[in-house]
Amino acid sequence: MTPLIAADRLTKWYGPRLALDGVSFEVMPGEVMGLLGPNGSGKSTILRILTGYLRPSAGTARLAGLDVVDDSLECRRRVGYVPEDAPLYEWMTVQELLGFMARVKGLAAGTTREAVARAMDRLALGPVAPMLIGKLSRGYRQRVAIAQALLNDPDLLVLDEPTNGLDPRQIIEMRELIRSVAGDHTVLVTSHILGEIEKVADRVAVLLGGRLLAVHALRASGDGQRLRLRVRGVADGVQACLERVPGVQRVTVAPEFRTDLATYLVEADEIPVAEALAAALVGGGFGLLEMGTAPTDLERLFLELTHEQAAA
Amino acid sequence: MRNFGTLLLKEEKAIFSSPIAYAIVSVFLLLMGYTFTSFLFLNRRGDLVHIFFQAAMLFLLIVPVVTMRLLAEERRAGTLELLLTAPVREIEIVLAKFVASMTLLTVMLLLSVTYPVVLGIYGEPDWGPIYSGFLGLLLLGGALVSIGLVVSGLTSNQIVAAVIALGAGILLWVIDTLGHLLPDPWDTILTSLSIVAHFTPFATGALFLSDLGFFLTIVLAGLLLSVRSLARR
Repeated sequence: MTPLIAADRLTKWYGPRLALDGVSFEVMPGEVMGLLGPNGSGKSTILRILTGYLRPSAGTARLAGLDVVDDSLECRRRVGYVPEDAPLYEWMTVQELLGFMARVKGLAAGTTREAVARAMDRLALGPVAPMLIGKLSRGYRQRVAIAQALLNDPDLLVLDEPTNGLDPRQIIEMRELIRSVAGDHTVLVTSHILGEIEKVADRVAVLLGGRLLAVHALRASGDGQRLRLRVRGVADGVQACLERVPGVQRVTVAPEFRTDLATYLVEADEIPVAEALAAALVGGGFGLLEMGTAPTDLERLFLELTHEQAAA
Repeated sequence: MRNFGTLLLKEEKAIFSSPIAYAIVSVFLLLMGYTFTSFLFLNRRGDLVHIFFQAAMLFLLIVPVVTMRLLAEERRAGTLELLLTAPVREIEIVLAKFVASMTLLTVMLLLSVTYPVVLGIYGEPDWGPIYSGFLGLLLLGGALVSIGLVVSGLTSNQIVAAVIALGAGILLWVIDTLGHLLPDPWDTILTSLSIVAHFTPFATGALFLSDLGFFLTIVLAGLLLSVRSLARR
């Protein structure tokens, strides 16, 4: 299957500060991908590059095969974006804002009214339709922001810290909403709270200091297994070697800084692959330093990865 | 330019739903009406030269207040991110903001048409300088809006945007004074940058292409710089 998002060595400098350091990842259609990391780890920068707000200093990102810089307008037509803190025009009513955003997103005049009604219905915004956005509660504002993002029925829905500032009931509603749009839309969601990501995402990318530490599957299909390997050797060669092993579905690489070592997360189907992986690596002349079952607990993985990064 | 109309309507609503626009128009008309009436009764002359110069001075002070929020407010509130991640071009955003601001200035000038109408009813004014004066004010307003738009795109603080735009406008108004103190060719260069030097012929009924070109150049340069500042992100 062709990935909907393919980010390749994305790098972003803000003046002298390196905010994003060669981040590569892929997101499959219909998947909910979480970006997890503390504040300043580069999550929002990735979202802003994918939505066309920022240009990468180096590297490329493709959305449905289109380059987000060269085909920016076409990419923006396929994205619905809810920035952090849901910025909206406070002097507009809910109805006016949704109508304005529908027209700006290029919806035909005849379909605008229908699209606005559908989005308001989905987010239960009917009671506040004539109200000024500046008078709405935080929860309603967030719903309006999501409604405008869904107006153009986007391939990709991007949510930056969607549960920030919400009360517990609203957080649960937000989780349900994200899971309900998965499948119809690919969702990219950020959070600095482990529990939030764990509850909504199929896979999670862990970021720290602008670097991607690992991509971790949270909702693997069937009774698959996840193995974590630490291997010495050229990353591309090791990855290709691992992918050739029968039963392996996906291999994710997290290179270690300034060494030829890398950690590989291997997702495989139910056939035991550990012996075959070891044999393939040894046969390929690579140095297998560690192999074990990848932790399923996200918090443990996060602490482990951030600890390794700090040690490096 | 498919989105221009939608963006323009939004900008018009942003301007005219704010009390600032009504305060500005009221103060402008009050001061203009006072000057027109007192000059008419004191001097009993059927020209508007002094009215045009007063309007130009008021534009210098008022336009930064109109333009300060254009991009600075969008940046502060975060709505610029919403706008720039929608499928719209930077030039559409900039042009919509420019045209919306010019609409407010045009409304102010249209309401000031009362003065030549009064002169026409009770006397026989020379209409040439009156037409050129209004054209000069429109061009001056365009140049000041353009400068204000550039400045507003560089900061997220409206007050900073207003103060810098005000400073830039006044500097361009008085820059020929400095020109008189400098040797050739600096005196010519600085004088040719002076707003007052290019506005005076319009106010007195003389139309020169160079003056028209001066204001249009400022407008175009301002719009281009504003688009560049939005595109550089």
